[in-house]
Amino acid sequence: MDKKLKETILNPILKGNPITVLVLGICSSLAVTVQLKGAIVMALSVIIVTGLSSLVCSLLRNTIPNRVRIIVQLVVVALMVILVDQILKAGEGTYAIDKQLSVYIGLIITNCIVMGRIEAFALGNKPIPSLLDGLANGVGYGLILVIVAFFRELLGSGTLFGFQVLPAGYIPNNLVILPPFALILLGCIIWVHRAIDKDLQEN
Amino acid sequence: MNTNSNAYTVIYTTVIVVIVAALLAFVAAKLGPAQEANTKAETLRQMMSAAQIKPTDELYSTKNAGILQLYADNIEEAYTIGLDGQKNGTLSTTKDKIELIDKLKPQNKAIKAGSGATLPVYVFKSGVIVVPIYGAGLWGPIWGYIAFNPDCRTIAGAYFDHESETPGLGAKIKDEAWFREKFAGKTVEFSSETPFNLSKNAEATGASNAVDAITGATMTSKGLGEALNVWFKAYEKHLGEAQTTNAEEE
Repeated sequence: MDKKLKETILNPILKGNPITVLVLGICSSLAVTVQLKGAIVMALSVIIVTGLSSLVCSLLRNTIPNRVRIIVQLVVVALMVILVDQILKAGEGTYAIDKQLSVYIGLIITNCIVMGRIEAFALGNKPIPSLLDGLANGVGYGLILVIVAFFRELLGSGTLFGFQVLPAGYIPNNLVILPPFALILLGCIIWVHRAIDKDLQEN
Repeated sequence: MNTNSNAYTVIYTTVIVVIVAALLAFVAAKLGPAQEANTKAETLRQMMSAAQIKPTDELYSTKNAGILQLYADNIEEAYTIGLDGQKNGTLSTTKDKIELIDKLKPQNKAIKAGSGATLPVYVFKSGVIVVPIYGAGLWGPIWGYIAFNPDCRTIAGAYFDHESETPGLGAKIKDEAWFREKFAGKTVEFSSETPFNLSKNAEATGASNAVDAITGATMTSKGLGEALNVWFKAYEKHLGEAQTTNAEEE
């Protein structure tokens, strides 16, 4: 694999993580990280949507009229999101999760990561790198989501994937379930991330 | 070609939108039946959970086909009533074409308007009668199913669901088994102005038609209490009269 392609894939997951470095997609990382299961489905949905939207927009990039490019991107993203939502609703096993995530799946449309990557990458690059960039950014987003959800489900409900892991005497912390705690956790993750990667530190 | 001309822009966007619309219409038509089957099974699970046909966990781990079979095996009859308490329709209970009134919002409107309601009543072979309730929570609609014992007065079980209540607070009406279990054994005073009392410290009054509201979920509890009372009043003529008939027989 050539170096540039490798960079495209690894950068969004580590150094250019959409949540901790670009600080995009914060809203949904507060909303869907109460339970691990929901966070994972959300992460997969975003990975698919960012990947496919970037791919389609990259294929269309030379035909899109510059003045309405945002609108065209929005139509493509909306199409992908509705498709994901409809498919989740139709699957017998995924219906319950879709119900739980309810509005948040629809709100992937407003996730800045999707539009941000199309604007910044897909419109200026070939389809395959664009697809990889979209997928990798989705993975970078999903990674943070899962980390946050791990701590919130563990401390907020004493469970992981719905199974009791902390002893029965543990009193669930209600603050952890509420969105503000996700912000605190995100702050901690950003702190750790910057402490490890000195390049990210600002003077 | 000049991709920035007005004509190109207009034609381009039109074509894109038409293609996307066609694609979505196709997908919606293809997946529609599967989605409806899921919704129907979900409604049946909630009803049978309220009616104590099987434990809730077991119902949720049963596949859709098994749920339809279970319902068909356990249901005695299903019909709809108007606000006058009189029967105004029947619902099929055959396994392959189970009919439900699962769109409760229009029914809620009809109750408020005072006419045009077709409120469902599901009578199970165990004698348990299940009726729905529907109302507004804090963020979105909340609904549920209440199962009555054959005396049409004592609650046998309940199940509540919501669209977007706060996880950990309002969502407890669905997530916490202890909350719905509290309804079992309570009674509904149909003839009273407020047939059921869901509020702070309600249980301390010792009344048999009272359940405590959920701490930290004031608006959801208030909405649920209202939903219960509005719908119980709507069923008053049907269930309340059955109550008096039963009393006479005794």
